[in-house]
Amino acid sequence: MSTNELEAQKISKSYTIDDRQIKVLDDISLLVSKGEVVVIEGKSGSGKSTLLSLLSGLDRPDSGKVIVNDRDITHLSEDELAPYRNRTIGYVFQSFHLVPSLTALENIMFPAELNNDPEAMEKAEGLLNRVELIDRKNNFPHQLSGGEKQRVAICRALVNSPQIVFADEPTGNLDSANGEIILNLLLELRSELDTTLLLATHSREISNLADRIVLLADGRIESYTDKVPE
Amino acid sequence: MIRWRFIFRQINSSRKQALIFILCVSLSLLTLVSLGGFSNSVRQSMLKDARQLHAADIMIHTHYPASNTLLEIVNRYKSEGLAEAVLVHEFYSMARNTGREKSLLSELKVVEKGYPFYGTVVLKSGLDFSKILQAGRIIVEQNVLDRLQADIGDRLQIGSTELTIVDVVVSEPDRPVSFFSFGPRIFIAADDLEKIDLIKKGSRIHYNYLLKIHNQDMVDTLADELSDVAIEVQERVNTFRTAESGVKRFFENFLFFLNLIGIFTLLLAGIGIQAALYTLLRESNYTIAIMKSLGAGSAYIFLHFTVMIMLLGTVGTVLGLFFSYLLQLYFPVLFTGILPAHVTLTIAWDVVFEGLVLGTVVVGLFSYLPMRRLRNVKPALIFRKEVEATRNDLPHYASITLTILFFIGLAVWQLEDVKTGIYFVLGLLGLVAFTAIVTQVLLMLMKKRSPRLLTLRQAFRGLFRPKNATRSIIITLSASLAVIFSIYIIEQNLQSTFIQSYPPELPNAYFLDIQPSQKQEFSNILGEEPQYYPIIRARLTSINDRRINRKEERQRRRDNLAREFNLTYRDFLLDDERITEGNNLFGDLDQNSLGNGELPVSVLDFVAEIGDIKIGDLLVFNVQGIPLQARVVSMRTRTASRVRPFFYFVFPEKTLKDAPQTIFSAVKIDRQRLTMMQNRLAEQLPNVSVIDIGKTIEVLARIIQKLSSIIQFFTLFSIIAGLLIIISSVFATKLARIREAVYFKILGAGQGFVLQVFTYENLIVALICALQAGIISHVGSWAVCRWIFDVPYKPLPVATGIMILSTILLVITVGLSASLSILRQKPIGYLRDEGQE
Repeated sequence: MSTNELEAQKISKSYTIDDRQIKVLDDISLLVSKGEVVVIEGKSGSGKSTLLSLLSGLDRPDSGKVIVNDRDITHLSEDELAPYRNRTIGYVFQSFHLVPSLTALENIMFPAELNNDPEAMEKAEGLLNRVELIDRKNNFPHQLSGGEKQRVAICRALVNSPQIVFADEPTGNLDSANGEIILNLLLELRSELDTTLLLATHSREISNLADRIVLLADGRIESYTDKVPE
Repeated sequence: MIRWRFIFRQINSSRKQALIFILCVSLSLLTLVSLGGFSNSVRQSMLKDARQLHAADIMIHTHYPASNTLLEIVNRYKSEGLAEAVLVHEFYSMARNTGREKSLLSELKVVEKGYPFYGTVVLKSGLDFSKILQAGRIIVEQNVLDRLQADIGDRLQIGSTELTIVDVVVSEPDRPVSFFSFGPRIFIAADDLEKIDLIKKGSRIHYNYLLKIHNQDMVDTLADELSDVAIEVQERVNTFRTAESGVKRFFENFLFFLNLIGIFTLLLAGIGIQAALYTLLRESNYTIAIMKSLGAGSAYIFLHFTVMIMLLGTVGTVLGLFFSYLLQLYFPVLFTGILPAHVTLTIAWDVVFEGLVLGTVVVGLFSYLPMRRLRNVKPALIFRKEVEATRNDLPHYASITLTILFFIGLAVWQLEDVKTGIYFVLGLLGLVAFTAIVTQVLLMLMKKRSPRLLTLRQAFRGLFRPKNATRSIIITLSASLAVIFSIYIIEQNLQSTFIQSYPPELPNAYFLDIQPSQKQEFSNILGEEPQYYPIIRARLTSINDRRINRKEERQRRRDNLAREFNLTYRDFLLDDERITEGNNLFGDLDQNSLGNGELPVSVLDFVAEIGDIKIGDLLVFNVQGIPLQARVVSMRTRTASRVRPFFYFVFPEKTLKDAPQTIFSAVKIDRQRLTMMQNRLAEQLPNVSVIDIGKTIEVLARIIQKLSSIIQFFTLFSIIAGLLIIISSVFATKLARIREAVYFKILGAGQGFVLQVFTYENLIVALICALQAGIISHVGSWAVCRWIFDVPYKPLPVATGIMILSTILLVITVGLSASLSILRQKPIGYLRDEGQE
């Protein structure tokens, strides 16, 4: 088995809007090693979120392959992808995407319950404790602030101890103070759980923390930077 | 493993749509189950009180005096103390108030002492019937007093004698008083039968021999013994358990029709279930996408949503059963006058079970297609708010086919008639398909239009707002309104034809039971020579040696071959008749083609269709015990109005002129002369009965109106299905509507503008529904009036206008009421919420 945990081979993706085809990603190839922190940088509309959704198996490329742990996930069916999404990856979205009908605790427990984890509740409560939201565990998403929602979303992404965490602009909807808290939390937890992290952002602050930076422009990789100079 | 918490949370988060789904499920069961339960209660009551309903244990019914053999056995039973017996004669005759010079066709019931063996004849005075009804006295229905302007103590001339009114009958055990009849009831004591002298040769008399058996265990044995000696076809022996009651028959026929409405409501509520479920699941799309992005598989999601639907379906079914029970409590009021009194309401557990099964199947069938859409919700939905269109594959079409088959099966089961069931469901689907196609075309045209008026333009766009169930709303409302409009239009047309303007050229008085020897005297009283129709009463016993199965025949819903027919003779066609097969009536008859003793007969196409009778077939009739063989030589059809006299079987004059007969005549006569005629006939020819068609039709019209109001009551439930879809649609698009309203307001529009847009939107929907329903109902009603009732069609523009306006008002009221909270939404509140998300 190679040390590459995640590999994208010449992936492309287009969307059709009003009979117009827009190419969002064009011929992207990428290798991510275990434990790496990779930041995908680019302007708004450069294709960062699309790239993350393809790498995480939430969407399917029009062409090319996505290989995770030496397994091509590109053509897996929805049901074959389900366990991969549940156990191998965790996803933190810019818009949080908490299930509105579930409480904070239930949202975090949900992936663990799907995994039939008997300790789902203990783990979820432990994570809530860790992010200092245990007293809000019975609150519904609409009763939480933006920063609280994102902390819950991070807990949910990590509850099954995934190998890879994808975070799509995790601080994009937060003020700078909350953004900083979230970012630190994400990095701390990643470090504690020894997880690979792929982060899409246009924030230089986050980029400073990366092992590698991939710069996207108009759906293509403009540059790779292995280590950001101090 | 099922996560119940998730399911309950999901239901709670979509509680409004869940409530609409539950209501649609309960609505789908309401009519069928309530009617089923009510019908069961009535049947049980009738069975429990069957002795009362027939007033005896064994009944012998015949149109002639009972045969000697039969009478001997009855007398033996009496002498051996096995039974008591009374004879009841029932027939129509004129009753005349000589003091007021008023006459009235009445239904006479001449009873021997001892009647009724079971149940009671309730009198207004509260006194005992058997003590009050003595020789020389009569007991009458209130209607007799009212119409003859008579009072208790007055004397009425009946036949050849005068009898004194002593009391008023409130109810009798074997007939509801208000049931349809050509004339009100008059009870006469058997001692006066000879004095009234109304039983003539060939008169239409019902002879009912009622027997009370002392040992109940012997009822069936004695009935069997009587049946064995009874003249087949002519004398009918029944026990209270086997007898068909007219009330029961009428009730079952009416329920048959109401069941059609029930199935119609079920179909529309089914569309409602589907629309509500599509909306409910669409609301869950986002949650499903998140779940999938977290690793939930299709099976997991399908399982949880199936359990959720089953839970809601069960609640809806239980609620439907409960509402059905409540509705049944109202039925005795709704059905007042057409059902026997004292119906005890019982819970029929088999109907409850049927309701539960029906609810589960309906939910399953109508939920399948929306549930299949779950497969197409991809996790990427959280990035792009779109769901891939469903491709209509094999399971999709299989589900639609299964639904159609289910409805055909249900209709056949409910109606107990395969042909009618299939035709009905296909007709129903045709109606829904037609409205669906027209709606689709109209919406397509509107999508391309861009009106100049800004509010109207926004309203047009609003119709195509994602998640708007515009098409479902229009289809369900148009179809249900079309049925309601049609019933109303047909009823009004029948009323206006027969009541307000009875066709002037048609006869308005029928004269029955004229004896051949009375023809000249009758013509003298009338002052003209009317058309006389001789009537020979007979029963059909076989067609081509195939015996008529009387039991099966009596199950037919239309006319049947088991009843007594009026044969006639003449050598010419009536004005409204035309030969359809054969050269003419009998003119080219080749005597050699007839067998020995066979008579030629011309048959009306209507009865030929019932009995599958063809030219050349051999029919055998029983005329007062004498067999009559007839070979079919021609077929006739009728070309004009059905209120003219017509005869199924016509023989050449020379063949039947000497048979025992009475004469019937139908004439057009003005009202004043008719009253005079009635009085003179009551005096000079008391055995002749007069049916005043005008008065009879008034009674019929009241019944039609009553029945039509009951039908409309049940059809209302299908409209509720349409209204529920409107509410569901408004709730489903609430966010989009709020967004529109907020954007309008941010850009400077006032609340009035928003209100106008929403009003236009509802107005467009209402107009399409009302116009479609109007057109369909007018075309349908015209066809029914033209081809079934054969009456001129009146389009009723004022009533149509009112119906259209009511529809518009209803849709706008419901649509805007559901949108009130949207109208009140403040822009900043929405923007703050939106910003947080």
